[in-house]
Amino acid sequence: MMEAPAAAYGVEDDGDMEAEEAGRDMEAWERAYADDRSWEALVEDETGLLQAQDKVQQQRQHRRRVQASSGLHIQRGIIRYLYLIIDLSRAAAEMDFRPSRLAVVANCVEAFIREFFDQNPLSHLGIITIRNGIASRLTDLSGSPEAHIKVLRGNLECAGDASIQNALDLSRSFLCQVPTYGHREVMLIFSALGTCDPGDVLESVRNCKEENIRCSVVGVAAEIYICKLLCEKTGGIYSVAMNEAHLKELVLEHVAPPPALAEAAVASLVKMGFPQRGAEGTIALCACHREVKIGGGYTCPRCKARVCELPTECFICGLTLVSSPHLARSYHHLFPVPVFEEVPLDAKFSGIQELSKVCYGCQQLLPLAGSKVTGVRLVCPRCNKHFCFDCDVYIHESLHNCPGCESFCEPQT
Amino acid sequence: MDILNNIESSVGNKHLLLYIMWDLADDVSLVIVVVDVNPYFWVEKANASTGTSDIDFEQFLQHVLAFMNAILLLNHMNYLAVIATGSDSCSFLYESLAGESVSDGEGKPPSKRMNKHHTPSAKIVRGLKDFVSKELAFKTERKDNGKRYSLLSGSLSMALCYVQRILRQDPPHPHPRILCFQGSPDASQQYIAVMNAIFSAQRLMVPIDSCMVGSQHSAFLQQAAHITGGIYMKPPHPEGLFEYLMMVFATDLHSRRFLQLPRPTGVDFRASCFCHKKTIDTGFVCSVCLSIFCKHHKECSTCGASFSQNKSSFVTGQKRKLSTN
Amino acid sequence: MPRLRVVSRATFMDMVASLPASKLDRLYDSHWTCQAILRSLTPLAKQYVMRMLYIDAPIPNKSLQEWVLPDATVKHKVAIDKLEQLRILVDVSERKKEVTYRLNPKLQNQLRSVLKSGGGIPRDPMPSSIVARLPTATELENYAIQQWELVILQLVNSASGEGPTAPLNKFIQHIFQKAGLLTSRENETTSRITEAGFQFLLLERSSQLWQIIREYVSAAEERGLDNGELIGFLLELGFHIVGEPYNMNTLTGMQQKAVEELAILGLARVQQGMKDRWFIPTKLAASLSTNLSESSSWQPTEGFVVVETNFRVYGYTSSKLQTETLRLFVRLEYQLPNLVVGSLTKESINSAFASGINAEQIISFLQKHAHPHVAPKVPTVPETVSDQIRLWETDRNRLQLLPAYVYEDFPSMDIFQAVVAYARDIQGLLWEDASTRRVVVRGELHEDVRSFLHRQNTASSQRK
Repeated sequence: MMEAPAAAYGVEDDGDMEAEEAGRDMEAWERAYADDRSWEALVEDETGLLQAQDKVQQQRQHRRRVQASSGLHIQRGIIRYLYLIIDLSRAAAEMDFRPSRLAVVANCVEAFIREFFDQNPLSHLGIITIRNGIASRLTDLSGSPEAHIKVLRGNLECAGDASIQNALDLSRSFLCQVPTYGHREVMLIFSALGTCDPGDVLESVRNCKEENIRCSVVGVAAEIYICKLLCEKTGGIYSVAMNEAHLKELVLEHVAPPPALAEAAVASLVKMGFPQRGAEGTIALCACHREVKIGGGYTCPRCKARVCELPTECFICGLTLVSSPHLARSYHHLFPVPVFEEVPLDAKFSGIQELSKVCYGCQQLLPLAGSKVTGVRLVCPRCNKHFCFDCDVYIHESLHNCPGCESFCEPQT
Repeated sequence: MDILNNIESSVGNKHLLLYIMWDLADDVSLVIVVVDVNPYFWVEKANASTGTSDIDFEQFLQHVLAFMNAILLLNHMNYLAVIATGSDSCSFLYESLAGESVSDGEGKPPSKRMNKHHTPSAKIVRGLKDFVSKELAFKTERKDNGKRYSLLSGSLSMALCYVQRILRQDPPHPHPRILCFQGSPDASQQYIAVMNAIFSAQRLMVPIDSCMVGSQHSAFLQQAAHITGGIYMKPPHPEGLFEYLMMVFATDLHSRRFLQLPRPTGVDFRASCFCHKKTIDTGFVCSVCLSIFCKHHKECSTCGASFSQNKSSFVTGQKRKLSTN
Repeated sequence: MPRLRVVSRATFMDMVASLPASKLDRLYDSHWTCQAILRSLTPLAKQYVMRMLYIDAPIPNKSLQEWVLPDATVKHKVAIDKLEQLRILVDVSERKKEVTYRLNPKLQNQLRSVLKSGGGIPRDPMPSSIVARLPTATELENYAIQQWELVILQLVNSASGEGPTAPLNKFIQHIFQKAGLLTSRENETTSRITEAGFQFLLLERSSQLWQIIREYVSAAEERGLDNGELIGFLLELGFHIVGEPYNMNTLTGMQQKAVEELAILGLARVQQGMKDRWFIPTKLAASLSTNLSESSSWQPTEGFVVVETNFRVYGYTSSKLQTETLRLFVRLEYQLPNLVVGSLTKESINSAFASGINAEQIISFLQKHAHPHVAPKVPTVPETVSDQIRLWETDRNRLQLLPAYVYEDFPSMDIFQAVVAYARDIQGLLWEDASTRRVVVRGELHEDVRSFLHRQNTASSQRK
């Protein structure tokens, strides 16, 4: 059905002009329907109800889209330090998005922050706003999503002009202090159509490049040259939103860690401790606040000092303390589940085994040739177990384990 | 158009929908029981048994079956699914839905009808017999005796797929929870898979309860209970297992807000290293991919990044300012 | 406005609880009723029963209290009270020292045996070789719904004034009359639907079912049947497998009679074979035991109504009952095989009000029967529509009659204003007009105002 625009808009589209020529005599909303021809996807079923397209087709399309977006196994710089710059100039108050650009952007940013920490547990994020031509830091680089969202909610009024240079300089001054193994990024959500700078903005762009800061921009209004240049120079992505839903999609695209540029982060081994959590109700002296605390708390494995929260550095011996689940949240990037393949229903599947009746994961009936169950049947290339479409989506998007591969024992090496 | 859009988004973002907090206004539950039936473990336990204070597999099974009957007794709408974890395979032994749709078209009609009238316990026991004989066949086929762990990650993954299927149905759904009966020790090579399952359970808001029947604690399941808000318990008197089950694990999610339940006694947050699968409390972490190693390496075996020889770079915590070369 | 006698599921259990102790104890002779009653309890009460199941010694109330968190003591009390009412917990305190409880030993033994054996079914279904032709699941469901709608349609038909199309079943008529849904005047040939009857039509099916069943049970008592046994059988019925045939000969005479009557309601289907008779429980029977507990969200409602902001109502239904129910407050415009279209107009809503239905009932009907496509939306019924329905209702109540007192000829503006202020303070001011110095005050506050005026007078005279 409605295919999401695959390419980021505004970066490279020569063909777009012609399409626009052709559609000139139609209103924008008419064009949306003309391109789509969504009514053709409607099928009448035996009871006379309208069904939105064949289920099998729909599922295939979804899978194709997902596969297209998931590239090969890329090395990702997972400890990210990202400054999120939000343009709160008066352009953000415009009402072309409903209810206003500002409200829509705020919504997207909230979703982005939550997703960001979900997928990048060890990363840090800070917020900078531009208002009246001045950039100001709203929150420091830190790891707590709720704190960011709370501060952001209390700071949502817009005025004056936007200044890209001020924002870049400010974020650079903070980002150049982060450890070298961290991956430095700036993400700008830009509503204005121009920038009002105190000096040469190109100078700031060059500085960002030197400091290995990757800058990406999501445009709310229209494509502008300076943003395009900024992204090109620093290796970021520039995209411009067409509507509210598209904006959200574009913003959330930046949640997944970017492919680490080989030279961007110096690889290093960091020594870390994985402390144990104490029993509820025990009393101990904590090293961070120098107070007696009851319950909870973690013990540094090296010097046995007690700390209250993770991640932190041990206050006695300086060891970096993390909770291992924190690290483990990102391992699914490293060991992705292989993409499942579709099994043709009519052809005798490889002739050896009979098709299993139920999905290996959820025990739901699987489609067979001539059976009433519709949908696609999928097979894991590694363990040859069969799955239904819904389990496929769940396994690849949330679980990140193949139940089949996990439930038989590999010969020991 | 709206309807089309809705369908589109419901296909794409099903997992997002599941974030929606459902209210726990009633006690209708889906309990997925994951039973460790690893023959290596139970045989060893029987050999090492000291007598009175321990239970063998038969007693254990009786207690668990009575518990499952209790779950089904508590509410007409309760769902139950039982997954057996072995050392070579995992499989569903029983699921409440099977009678309705799955067994359709399976076998001949008369046997299907008889099937319907068997009690759940009978079905579970029959499924278990098949499963154990298969496991033993694997065991004899394989000559090495060293391997003792169970495929916990596999059965957790299956349990979550099943939960997710129930949540896909039209609301209202039962409130799902997973209960693991675990005896065999943790297998550190399953670390990543188990953690993935735990996080997914957390996102689905499915608590993972654990009842340890072996002699040692499980760091995996302690973390699971901690992260998903489940209950972890190692009964001090295994022979009275049923009492513990009724007092603690029969409690539905609704009642858990009102009842006193055992509090966690510390959680083992140790990780296992990627190179030797050892459980460690301090280690080296690759800054590119976060892989954990127990020793200093020149190169990351997971992502291939080569680490600088500068000692100060991995003894962090001191000044982070690095010389540029 | 007459209050609707809403009979919810809980009150059925209240009815059970109100049985005399000997009858209650007899109920616990069957483990089916034990199970059904256990399932009808609140979650917390269930947990208590489970926890005490294998404890033989009496437990002091104090230790029971330690089971709950400090902020849940209210829930705890409710649960314990309910358990005591149903004689599941028996007070065994010796002397007046300390309250101690233990489980009803009968119930305890029954439930223990259930845990051991694992439930099962009350009686074996008949082998398929004897039974002639069994209805398929959908046939059976259609049958049940058809039967049920037929019953309710009798009520609707007496509403439309055409008189019953089919001769009204005496048994059902009796129940309707007993429940106060139909008038039961001797001199009338056909009884008419009452306001409660109209309201009954708008309830969900499960509530309707329970109301009927409740009246049925209490009617049984009048007919000289043992209501304890009947309740026991009703509770047991839910454990039979839907769609399986059960031999009538396994039932007692009273139960056979009950099944035949329940068949009229669509709870079971009775079939006659060569020499045996058997009954087949339907989904409605199964839903009896499901709806016993208070988890009300678990009733499967099959929504069919879409309401648009322009007051159009689309009902995706081919059922006559649902169409007729909609007709109570919707002006139907056209009807297709699976769809009726109508609109909510002031006239149609007013006629509904006239027959005793109120705005909230209409709105909740529309919400509860919302089509699955609109059900997830908030709000399911557009606000403009629900507000308008409420406004129309308040329109009817524009005039309110209140006994009141008029005060006039105030000697001075000061006193007038003081009285107005005082009347406002005690919330008795209905109307005031400064130019003519008149105040109207609620009748019941007359004495207060008078004594206030008195005090004012004496005060002002003293000042002079």
